[in-house]
Amino acid sequence: MIQPADAASQASAPGTPYIELRGITHSYGPVLALDGVDFKVHRREIVGLVGDNGAGKSTLIKILSGVLQPTRGEIFVDGRRTTFNSARVAMNCGMETIYQDMNLIDGMDIMRNIFFGREATHPLGFLKIGEMKRTAMEILEKEITIEGIRSPHQLVGNLSGGQKQAVSIARAMFFKNQVLLLDEPTSALSVRETQAFLDHITRLRDEGLSVVIVTHNLFHAYQVADRFVVLSHGKKVEDTLRDRTSAEELTRIVVGKQVGGPG
Amino acid sequence: MTVSAEVPRLAAGSWLKELQRRRSGNIVLLFVAIQVVAIVFALIFPDEFRYVSLGNVQLMLKSIPSLVIVVLGVNLLMIAGEFDLTVGATFTLTALIMAKLFNAGIPLGIAVLAALVAGAVIGFVNGWIVVMSNVPSFIITLGAMWFWRGVILILSGSVTESFYPSQFFEKLFTMNLGPIQVQFVWALAIATLCWLLLERHQYGNYLFGVGGNRKAAAALGVNTNRVKIIAFGITGLLAALSGVMSTVRINSISPIQGQGLELQAIAACVIGGTALTGGKGTILGAFLGAALMYTIQDVLLLLRAPGHYLQMFVGVIIVIAAVLNEAIKSE
Repeated sequence: MIQPADAASQASAPGTPYIELRGITHSYGPVLALDGVDFKVHRREIVGLVGDNGAGKSTLIKILSGVLQPTRGEIFVDGRRTTFNSARVAMNCGMETIYQDMNLIDGMDIMRNIFFGREATHPLGFLKIGEMKRTAMEILEKEITIEGIRSPHQLVGNLSGGQKQAVSIARAMFFKNQVLLLDEPTSALSVRETQAFLDHITRLRDEGLSVVIVTHNLFHAYQVADRFVVLSHGKKVEDTLRDRTSAEELTRIVVGKQVGGPG
Repeated sequence: MTVSAEVPRLAAGSWLKELQRRRSGNIVLLFVAIQVVAIVFALIFPDEFRYVSLGNVQLMLKSIPSLVIVVLGVNLLMIAGEFDLTVGATFTLTALIMAKLFNAGIPLGIAVLAALVAGAVIGFVNGWIVVMSNVPSFIITLGAMWFWRGVILILSGSVTESFYPSQFFEKLFTMNLGPIQVQFVWALAIATLCWLLLERHQYGNYLFGVGGNRKAAAALGVNTNRVKIIAFGITGLLAALSGVMSTVRINSISPIQGQGLELQAIAACVIGGTALTGGKGTILGAFLGAALMYTIQDVLLLLRAPGHYLQMFVGVIIVIAAVLNEAIKSE
């Protein structure tokens, strides 16, 4: 078999998607959060995942990051069927999530945050502090372009929203993860930081990463995304390339499908 | 060329700033300040306030370890964002188990081991119920405390159990090294182990992470339930160890002993800078917090104030800490 017949009709770049979800359904008790959603991300692609509150965006991100397991449906990584039964498995498959409430720990310094859950340790589990510190210094010098971070021992709780974001992304970069999952990444950022952040995302894509960006702000998404997936009430209602749509049209789809919707 | 940048700055107050920048800086300052005040008063009123007498210093160094060892466990648990109100009951129950077994003719080693295992098991059970039920640990362990207190009364028949172990074992915990009793050295050794665990081990990182931002820790692949259950186990183990050591020192265990220890331990941690909401705390802070609790108790005794004043102090400290926590959060 070559490609499935409907692949051509869907908006997609050539080649096997790096990550593909098929028929994903998830319910929280009686509440159906996702209903048979197909979703894919190619290499070097930024996908804007948009939709109104309760559309199922966050649930989809949680499934991609292994925090939630779908009630039904399949996950393929690089064409191979996989089950993300924990965050650790998803991470090992190259997924790195940056949540809107930040997956950083305020009471810890930058170095410990970068390595949290993936510490360099001696056989008995004792930390290789020196090694982690050296690496953290390198990461800070190379990856973080946002100013104000001087030392890997600064407490994350004292950083600004943009600086925290930068630390999260630096961490993802360092661990060479393939897909960045960004859940409302701009909500904690100032206008200036948002612009720097969006530029950074584009640069990461050009360097070979894939990005899924979940946002309320269609204009932010429209600036960077190559493709848009619109969810409404747990269903996928649109999947289109950037060239074939506009921010206005996307807004109309998000709003329109929410109000009326085919019965 | 390196010019003045490398010149060590010895300006007055720079060491003070450096100290305050450290996570345990404030408690060190507080501890030193209170000691200085107490010593100055003791020098001014040497007869009325015998704070610096050898007898008093020795008594303090003897008394501090049993609270310190309990506090070290409670501190780790509080950093992970949980409380254990059973530590007082664990302290008494495990010591009672040891004394009963030993008095029934069971070898001392086994009796001690049984006490320590019982402590760890009580902790694990607390932890397991907390993570499985998702009910705040304050409530679960409050219930557990009453349960184990009941067990203590049944087991002891409300009478004090005496405990006279072998000379060697008694020496192990009570001999004097110069002016210091060896218990203090034990407390220092256990504090060092806890420090290694908290600051230099992966598990310590997880404790901070789970207490500081549980969702983030879970999203980064950490099994937060396991981290918490282990922390409960360590807390129970250390409470048991403290009970054993204290019983060796005073040669008996009374069923009402250890009452109020749970809140004293929480207060000591809070004084030492451990956050009630988790994710923040140091070993040095907890150690000095516990030492400070005894200093205050000692000062009250020397001033011939009734012991109940300490209770009032503990209550006030916990309420103030909780209020401050809330104030800082809403800022």
